[in-house]
Amino acid sequence: MVVGEISQQRNLIIIGGGPGGYSAAIRGAQLGLSVTLIEQAEMGGVCLNKGCIPSKIFTHAAAKKADTAHLNELGIEFDDNTFNYRKLLDYKDKAINGLRAGVESLCKNNKIELIRGKATFLGTDKIGVENGHQFDIFKFDQAIIATGSTPILPPTINEKGKRILLSHEIFELEKKPEHLVVLGQDYIALEVASSFAALGAKVSILLEDKSSFAFDESIHKEMLRLFKRSKLNVYKEAQLLSSNETESEISITFKNDKNVEETIQGSHLFIAGLRKPNVDSLGIGRIGLAQTNEGFIHVDAYMRTSIPSIFAIGDVTEGPLLAIKAIKQGKAAVEAIAGHKPEVDITFMPVVAHTIPPAVSVGLTEQNALDFGLKVRVSQYPLGGNGYASITAKKDGFIKVISDPATEIISGIHMMGEGAIEMSGSFVQLLEMAAKEEDVKFPLYAHPGLGEGLLEAVEGLIGQAIHAPPAKKKDLSII
Amino acid sequence: MLEVKLHDIGEGMTEGEIIHYLVKVGDSVKTDQPLVEVQTDKMVAELTSPCSGVVKKIIIDAGETVRVGTSLIYIEADESIKMEQKTSPEMKQDVKKEAFSPVMLKEKNMALTFNRVLAAPFTRKIARDNNINIEDVPASDPSGRVTEEDVYRFLKGQQPETQKESVVAVQKEAITLETPDEIPFKGIRKKIAEKMTKSLFTIPHVTHFDEVNMTNLFRMREELKASGESVSVSAFLIKALVISLKDFPIFNAELDEDNSRILLKKNYHIGIATNTDSGLIVPVLHDADKKSIKNIHAEVKGLTERAIAGKMQPFEMQNSTFTVSNVGPLGSTGATPIINYPETALIAFHKTKKQPIVNERDEIVIGHIMTLSMAFDHRVADGATAVAFTNRFASLIEHPHKLMMEMI
Repeated sequence: MVVGEISQQRNLIIIGGGPGGYSAAIRGAQLGLSVTLIEQAEMGGVCLNKGCIPSKIFTHAAAKKADTAHLNELGIEFDDNTFNYRKLLDYKDKAINGLRAGVESLCKNNKIELIRGKATFLGTDKIGVENGHQFDIFKFDQAIIATGSTPILPPTINEKGKRILLSHEIFELEKKPEHLVVLGQDYIALEVASSFAALGAKVSILLEDKSSFAFDESIHKEMLRLFKRSKLNVYKEAQLLSSNETESEISITFKNDKNVEETIQGSHLFIAGLRKPNVDSLGIGRIGLAQTNEGFIHVDAYMRTSIPSIFAIGDVTEGPLLAIKAIKQGKAAVEAIAGHKPEVDITFMPVVAHTIPPAVSVGLTEQNALDFGLKVRVSQYPLGGNGYASITAKKDGFIKVISDPATEIISGIHMMGEGAIEMSGSFVQLLEMAAKEEDVKFPLYAHPGLGEGLLEAVEGLIGQAIHAPPAKKKDLSII
Repeated sequence: MLEVKLHDIGEGMTEGEIIHYLVKVGDSVKTDQPLVEVQTDKMVAELTSPCSGVVKKIIIDAGETVRVGTSLIYIEADESIKMEQKTSPEMKQDVKKEAFSPVMLKEKNMALTFNRVLAAPFTRKIARDNNINIEDVPASDPSGRVTEEDVYRFLKGQQPETQKESVVAVQKEAITLETPDEIPFKGIRKKIAEKMTKSLFTIPHVTHFDEVNMTNLFRMREELKASGESVSVSAFLIKALVISLKDFPIFNAELDEDNSRILLKKNYHIGIATNTDSGLIVPVLHDADKKSIKNIHAEVKGLTERAIAGKMQPFEMQNSTFTVSNVGPLGSTGATPIINYPETALIAFHKTKKQPIVNERDEIVIGHIMTLSMAFDHRVADGATAVAFTNRFASLIEHPHKLMMEMI
């Protein structure tokens, strides 16, 4: 096939149909732009097909499984309390297909042109798309790179057999692993460890140094306690040294928290954490697009790259590799192209893990406050005191609030416990609205409900939570 | 064709003077090859080539002062990376006017959490839509929360009715609020602020004070002077310091927290904190351990003069391993100085004063006593080591003939 000299003109081209890319495409259509989306695999990207969505199907199933003991207490008895892993995989495929069809039809209804193939920049206004033997050239006014990222192995592991699983592979396992060893402590690692344990696998988790834990330290403590209670083998401050795969197992050698070498065996090793941006086939080096040393694309506040006609969003840019950020950036990039003045500020981006129970951190942690020498008021309200948590047998966990004693402005909210993901919406809003303590204490809360937990956590800042033991008065008699 | 623009070299500069071009039209250049020397308010910097290719045009003449973002040179990139030259299509409205400057979206930029202006998302939007930076809008609420009204008031150029309903009831009529004078917080001042904040927020500082008897050193200096050799006190201090550092390498070190290690530096590059009209600058005396007292004297003199005149080259201000702040000539008896991050320690020398001291024969005599303050990183070293270090330093100064033992 001769490479055609004739190029076709397009308005806005978006490369990559993940959550960032398709959100950008739809917002672009809403703003009256004519949008072309190029995707080389399946719509929805890693998030829908191999990441956030499949992992949530597993965490959801795990949470339900963990609930069966309580359901029995309520008289809802199961004659045959078994778990069929194969059925879960089928459900996963069904759910993903449904969501993907939803995205595709949204794109279609918004009149977004979808082109299948692999995109390569040929210039600052020209892109080639390769699909099998076909090669088309498009000229564009603006392009948005939304190609995402791919998990990679840590430098200590050179080779990967079928017993080492990265984040896009763990939910494709045909059988439930017998003994899953999890390496890492980001949300994916915590979710995988928590849910596979609940689904009946033996799980060991190798945690890193506490300082790189993304949540407030209180969550770290509570999570360790709950992991141990669920019979997970927890290794703290582990440093991976090597791994060795055989036909029947994988052995993992690491330095433990006492600086001693230790080796454990498992059926599989799951590794979370490291990812690289998908830029290799884009040809952006050739057109001089500025990148970091690791290959991530530099962008400005409007998601523009160093080349004015090209924008980039999501995992392929710097910062946290999360769909939350990609979706926001995708919309912002298109809004900037349409002449609006968007802003992306991830200061109060929630850090979330769908563990059992789930955990959320938003804003300032107590550790940050200490590191920066900030004066703070802290209140940690145990959910054991919340009526609705008692009724539903979800008494594990707490809500912790941090505020500035001088201005009473709330600067951080952290929760581990049932409902944390849903409640995190209120936490983020309070922080974004620069709420003061009174702004939480004034409104009325459904009773009984978990929302009362937030109210009591804030009341606790001055020792006035109703359902908590009174704060110990300082004994002044000694003076 | 690629344009090489004057960009912010990283100190919040807004303009620069083109000193001279290191290439001419027709020259072949390689990636990262220096193209032009630019003078900012603080230093002379080189701009390098973003690609390999041929210099096609030099747009701005040497000697001119231009703003950041101005195109200086056109370079035609090599054949392999040549692209069609076409200006990219215009973006609507003013988004296109602002120069490209990447922003960091760090996972946990906590400095932002408490430095970010407190304003609800809709308030932020009003500011953006009206092309004003929300960070510039003064808050009428004493807690610092910026409201919609504050933004509209700012738009109309009005001052906020500050603390009208302030919690503290003060005698209002007695106080007249005068508009304060403004000093722009940018350039070198801002750079200093950033460095100091970083250091103090990162390093757990401990400051240790001591006294050094300078009497013998002064006597020796007088003798040298009489024989025609005039050497500054600070040259002796730096010499003694370097010798002490060699005995206590932990203070000539850098903590590499990411890799859990402490790097003991093999070079003895001494930063000399220097007060200039535009603020604190730290020129560096490189390889001080390989230099005689006389050479140290001459080089420090040259460095300080160039620093005060604003003629520093970037390399002359880099890679220091330990920093000295000689504030003695200005006065003072003690301080809690901030370490020049990422170094481990900093020593400040204060004013030498005549004081009654007790000599070896238990007589009260007049001595010259200098105080010093040494700040060190308590993650890296402990108090006892710091005391041992300053003891060693003091013994060299109090018995300056010992310095001879260390001559190379």
